[in-house]
Amino acid sequence: MRRMLQGTALALGLAALTGPAAAQEITVVVANMSGYLDPARDHSNVGSQFYFNLFDPLIHRDYAKLEPEWLPGLAVSWQQTSPTTMELTLREGVQFHTGATMTADDVIFSLNRMFQADFPPYQVRQRDRLANFDRAEKIDDRTIRVHTKRPETLFETLLNLQQLFIVPEAYVKSLAGDPNALEHDDYEAFGQKPVGTGPYRLAEFVPGQMVVYERFEGFWGVPAPLAKATVRHVPEVASRLTALRTGEAHIATNIPPDQLAAIEADPGLKAESAQTALFHMMIMNVNHPKMQDARIRRALTLAIDRDLLNEALWLGKAEIPASHTLREFGPLYMPELKTFRYDPEEAKRLLAEAGYDGFEIVYDHFPNYYTNEVLAAQAIMEMWAAVGINGRLNQQPAWTGGKPEMMVRTWSNPMYFADPAGQFGVMWAPGGPAQSEGRFNTDEAYAAAWERFRFSADLADRKAAYAELMARIEADPPFLPLWRPYESWAMRQGVNWKPQPGHIPYVLDFRAGAITLDAMN
Amino acid sequence: MTALAAPRAPGALARLWAEADAVQRAALVLALILLALALLAPLVAPFDPNAQSLLARMRPPAGFERARPGHWLGTDELGRDILSRCLFALRLTLGLALAGAVIGLVLGGTLGLIAGLLGGRVEAAVMGAVDAQIAVPFTLIALFVLVLFGNTLPVLVIVLGLYGWEQYARIVRAETRKLMAMPFIEAARAAGAGPVRIARVHLMPNLVSPLVVQFTLSLSGIVLLESTLSFLGLGVQPPTATLGAMVGVGRDYMPNAPWIVIAPAVTILLVTFAVQILGDWLRDRADPRLRPR
Amino acid sequence: MLSRSLTVLARMTVTFLVIVTLVFFATRMTGNPVDFVVGEGLTSEDRALLIRYFELDGSWWAQYRAFLRGFIDGNFGLSFIERRPVAEIVAARIWPSLQLLLSAMALTLVVALPLGILAAIRRDHWTGSAAMAVAFLGYAVPNFVLAVFLILVFAYWLNWLPVVGNATALHFILPTVTLAAGLIAALTRFTRNAMLDVLGQDYMRTARAKGLPERRVILHHGLRNAGITILSVIGLQVAGLAAAGSVVVESIFAWPGIGDLLVRSAIRRDYPVLQFGVIAVAAAVIVINAAVDLAYAWADPRLRRGTLA
Repeated sequence: MRRMLQGTALALGLAALTGPAAAQEITVVVANMSGYLDPARDHSNVGSQFYFNLFDPLIHRDYAKLEPEWLPGLAVSWQQTSPTTMELTLREGVQFHTGATMTADDVIFSLNRMFQADFPPYQVRQRDRLANFDRAEKIDDRTIRVHTKRPETLFETLLNLQQLFIVPEAYVKSLAGDPNALEHDDYEAFGQKPVGTGPYRLAEFVPGQMVVYERFEGFWGVPAPLAKATVRHVPEVASRLTALRTGEAHIATNIPPDQLAAIEADPGLKAESAQTALFHMMIMNVNHPKMQDARIRRALTLAIDRDLLNEALWLGKAEIPASHTLREFGPLYMPELKTFRYDPEEAKRLLAEAGYDGFEIVYDHFPNYYTNEVLAAQAIMEMWAAVGINGRLNQQPAWTGGKPEMMVRTWSNPMYFADPAGQFGVMWAPGGPAQSEGRFNTDEAYAAAWERFRFSADLADRKAAYAELMARIEADPPFLPLWRPYESWAMRQGVNWKPQPGHIPYVLDFRAGAITLDAMN
Repeated sequence: MTALAAPRAPGALARLWAEADAVQRAALVLALILLALALLAPLVAPFDPNAQSLLARMRPPAGFERARPGHWLGTDELGRDILSRCLFALRLTLGLALAGAVIGLVLGGTLGLIAGLLGGRVEAAVMGAVDAQIAVPFTLIALFVLVLFGNTLPVLVIVLGLYGWEQYARIVRAETRKLMAMPFIEAARAAGAGPVRIARVHLMPNLVSPLVVQFTLSLSGIVLLESTLSFLGLGVQPPTATLGAMVGVGRDYMPNAPWIVIAPAVTILLVTFAVQILGDWLRDRADPRLRPR
Repeated sequence: MLSRSLTVLARMTVTFLVIVTLVFFATRMTGNPVDFVVGEGLTSEDRALLIRYFELDGSWWAQYRAFLRGFIDGNFGLSFIERRPVAEIVAARIWPSLQLLLSAMALTLVVALPLGILAAIRRDHWTGSAAMAVAFLGYAVPNFVLAVFLILVFAYWLNWLPVVGNATALHFILPTVTLAAGLIAALTRFTRNAMLDVLGQDYMRTARAKGLPERRVILHHGLRNAGITILSVIGLQVAGLAAAGSVVVESIFAWPGIGDLLVRSAIRRDYPVLQFGVIAVAAAVIVINAAVDLAYAWADPRLRRGTLA
């Protein structure tokens, strides 16, 4: 019955999706959509969905694997020739979506526009993750060298970043003003009409609404499995789920755990879920006049039963981290650190010791941004109340993390690259964003430990330094990682896609091997 | 609502009742019940409206499988008792709506009356403000105010009070001008009656009808606006229950736990039903031309 | 009539200027956009860099003048987030919103006028109450609850109608019904009350006494006169709707309209888009209201005679 109606009533709008000719086309409905598509300036969880289909880095990795296994990308081979130098041999015959052939000059341009950034949005990214790079240099038409300022142990990891995807120099320059000169407006325009070397080209982009990918026939690698993929912004969960049922969409993102039962009960749908490589955080302002006593902040974290929240809100499927560490970090994954735990009695004791007089502690949060954010906030207030903390929720669609009056709020710390330096290291570096926003302090000892953790060539030394940092965080906590969320994507039966463990969070990877379609029904 | 429905003398109640038809009687009874429930919420609610039970979330109402004893309307997304939350939500929502509608009526009505009676520059200024208000999306104004001053309860009351003031002003000013152009007003003026006297004797009775309609419309409108603000994440702060906040949060659960939305939505429906039927009834009674029928 | 038109024009201009100014300063009061546009956790150095880059470092007064200059040279700036001209962004959103608005208005008129007249002339009959009950339902439930309910019934379970976007005529059905529901309720009530007002008037009795058929009395004399009140309500409703009343509907049905754009820009502090969008909507509403005003004057003979204060 349903099928018949679909064939008649919906013929007008939906025939294209159900007919056999459409076997290589899909529609994806997403909860959030970017306003621009420039992988170099972007580091949002929204943008990360879109770039991987359009661009390539010099060094790829096997994204199906959690442990890094580096694979040739736009470079076919590479070798670290000194602690501060990497030499790369470029792939030949790579085409940009414009039809132009990639040259060593394009690569040098792409890297140096970030290493020596003068466009402010690029400068921000340069400072927070590419600061150790000095320059890229062309040796000959197939060979380039990348130089760092200090010995670098993470060359491959960093050259895999979306900020260092390769773009066509001549095309970028041609976009605005003088077609042969580089202006900031060129970068602005690039965000609306991005061009890369990836298996899909951008056929259409309506900012905030729609991204349409089309297979790029000139791709250097295994051809794209889809002829066309349309990504549409549908903010409401109920609308996204319904679009799957009506056949208007094949994949829907950001499905809260509470909806999974409904999907599993539907024979036409299925869900793919994974623990996404980021933490939802509770951050605390160590410089708030009432929060300077570390015992108060320790009590705030000790009072929260994260395992119960996991059980209640995430079907028990999120991960509750004992420390600020992810299994993606390979040898630097340190679950043996027990930085955070639940101990309400200890919380009460610390509060009494600190002379907590019942003053109000305000917990800022967004209305509907992180999955389960509002539910968790309300549950946390109850848990605080149970140990005698007088919490109050303040829900507002505004970032308050830079305000001196902020006491406690929600945040997330994504894994920008698979190393503690790419997660904890981005946000909690000396002089980094948290300190710069005035809610976290560091001293010389912290800075020294941070330097060792980031730059030491000795793995054991890096681990020891990280443990030292975590011990300091435990004693004087500026945050509590709540959990590694269990995020879900719903899709129609016949669509074979799942998030790949080797990616940063939320990437919609439609490359060969990442997605296949059965004959659509 | 009591203020509107309250009879002037004990005997009037019986007369009112006798005149009402079945629907109006039902609305009156419903209004009184809702009002009583709102006032007595702390006494009649079976549970603390904010008491969570994290391991008994989204349990269906009594009679369904997995229902939890004692929770007649089921539990919500944090295992709270929906019946208790509905009762407290009704209390707060009615309070907010009445406060907002009265503020709007007083503000808009006064401005409209002044504009209509005095005319000239005063009228131009008031109507300029009305035009500006109409032309800018109220949702945005609400958004600005709530973001700027924080979405606390007092700010919310002010925002809800601003809602619809321009409609009162427009109506009052239009009716005033229509009446001012009528011969009997000119006659009264000629007889030396001042503006205050004209307003009291001749305008007020004629204004009651459109204002009552607007008041009931904006009472329901405010209930709905409050829910829209919750939809946008700018309503009351959690965990406070209002009917709007309950439906705003509950909409995400409609496919799998519809009872979370149904209870507050039906409560909103009952409130708006009672308010509008009573509003129409009062309007008809206040209209001198219809009374003889 | 001419002097009235001029007055209306002058009022429009003043209203517009007031709004332009208020919008500018209101947006400046709600927080620095850099914190929203670029994301959380910026270092203070980077923050300063970006504030300069977005040209937010000048005084408010300097920014205000730069903003006003836009009205002269037509350059209203780039969106902070999308980095393309705001006029382009807003223009793309107007037509879909207008389409939805027109279809909702059409449905409203077709349903509400007959219901309202029926409710008035059958005031003492059950059909009158039934008409009001139907109208009432649309105003009794928050429109997003109605929208999700319609989606679940007609798309999720029955699979009859699509829910994403505005591609085909079928896509119009659910959003139009949702949007019209509240309007129908309001307009039916106003039509009923306006009709009741005129039904008791002397000229109605005169018309009947002249032996005109009841149908003609009601439609010609009754509706014509009630039309004045109804017109003003339609004016208000159109304004209210064009003015982001449709935010919720646009968000739920992924409709690429202007209400959704404005709220998102406001929350993300995309000032250039917000300013231009609000001004565009305001301009549209002002023009509509002016038209209603003139029509109002034309429809009411007493005002036509020029007793305007």
